[in-house]
Amino acid sequence: MRTAADRNPALGLTVWATAAVVYVAAHAVDTEFSMFWVFGLAFGFVLQRARFCFASAFRDIFLLGHSRNMKGLLLGLAVASVGFGLVMSRQVPMTSLGVYPPSANVLPLGIHTGLGGLLFGVGMVLAGGCVSGSIYRMGEGYIASWVAFAGVMGGLLLSAYTWNWWWEAHIAAAPRLWLPHWIGHPSALLVTLLALACVYLWVLSVEHRAGMVVPRSSRDQPQPESVSDDLRSVARILFVQGWPVLPAGAVLGGLNVLLFTAQEPWGFTGEVSRWSIGMASLVNAAPGPLAGVEELPGCVLVPSDGLFFNHMFFLVCGMCFGSFAAAVGAGEFKLRVPKRPVRYAQSLGGGVLMGYGSGIAMGCTIGALFSAIPSLAVNGWVFGAFLALGAWIGTHMIQRLE
Amino acid sequence: MARTPKTMVRTLDVRGEICPYPMMRTVSALKKLSTDERALEVVTDHAPALETIPTQAARLGFQTDIEETGASEWRIMLTRTEAVEGS
Repeated sequence: MRTAADRNPALGLTVWATAAVVYVAAHAVDTEFSMFWVFGLAFGFVLQRARFCFASAFRDIFLLGHSRNMKGLLLGLAVASVGFGLVMSRQVPMTSLGVYPPSANVLPLGIHTGLGGLLFGVGMVLAGGCVSGSIYRMGEGYIASWVAFAGVMGGLLLSAYTWNWWWEAHIAAAPRLWLPHWIGHPSALLVTLLALACVYLWVLSVEHRAGMVVPRSSRDQPQPESVSDDLRSVARILFVQGWPVLPAGAVLGGLNVLLFTAQEPWGFTGEVSRWSIGMASLVNAAPGPLAGVEELPGCVLVPSDGLFFNHMFFLVCGMCFGSFAAAVGAGEFKLRVPKRPVRYAQSLGGGVLMGYGSGIAMGCTIGALFSAIPSLAVNGWVFGAFLALGAWIGTHMIQRLE
Repeated sequence: MARTPKTMVRTLDVRGEICPYPMMRTVSALKKLSTDERALEVVTDHAPALETIPTQAARLGFQTDIEETGASEWRIMLTRTEAVEGS
């Protein structure tokens, strides 16, 4: 049983106070900065509290016949689809005109989508976490996740060097398929929800074939006897105990709708590419101009602009810091240093595969999946299918590296 | 048989491991236990393993007791249940 021994509320409050100071400072410079900082904190907090991991959502189906995280992911996608659907039906009331919602992740669909998903799927299983998973585990103190993140930056840079080839050969002429163009808003949403329900039925059947074992039920809570007792128990549920996955999925889906309503869907590999391209330009190794990137939505590569801060910088750093704050508050922060050298190679290699895959697919499990399926875009489903295939291959690989 | 039962419990230390190796190495170790070994002790600092190890252990016929031993460190005691004895 968990004890309060190593939990330090004062330390937790200090970390949150630091987050508040950053908020105030960012707000003074640009209100967009502070808004994205808060979104980042919220995403990181929820990911850490629920240990919400997209890599394990796919991997555990193949490895364990277990679908805890996949169920959370599916619920999050359903919630976000309804929200995105409503927002997009206001943005583009007349679907017959052929225009696209301005910031939804309706991306060019082609070989790059499938190959990107495949590479990403292998990479996230090898590295033990996707990009968002690595960012929240960086905040929890996993050294291997910092290595994986460095790999992601390297992979994104490699994809930038080859971007113009992909653009010429595949992306420029690739179609952007948006379901509402064919069947209108209500049917597009209905089809998406039905497809999510089909995936749900499939994972249930996999789970039952594997022989479902009900994990230990959570410990009994004593009945709270006063308002302060009740508040304490709510605070424990929110900040100390791990969250169940379904509320976390719903909250992440809801946060994504809010972010989309405020500006653009959740995603960050474009921003991370800006960092690595920026670093490469410091040593005069930047890739040349990237064709077509200005006209694409989603997490497409971002050329270095010579600036240090932008709003997405605060989103990515906010995710890492939100997870750090959540971990400290729950007494779960700890530096975890892998003892086996192969784990560093796996994390770095997996990171490079994820970086390259998300570079050509214009998004990771967030931008190309968690924000793309709710955009009612076909590319989200194709990316997801190849992600699953990649995760299946990766699952075989990690079993040989035990 | 006059043999005394083993009182020593084997310990598997998977601290520092990345996901999902704490669970995978536990499963491998459980499969390698000889039939007269009643239990395995796992030391981990990977919180997600607290959900995956009990399920996988139960599938192999072990029950789980988890004790928090420090800042994000847990001792997981996996004990053979009688039902699958001799299997």
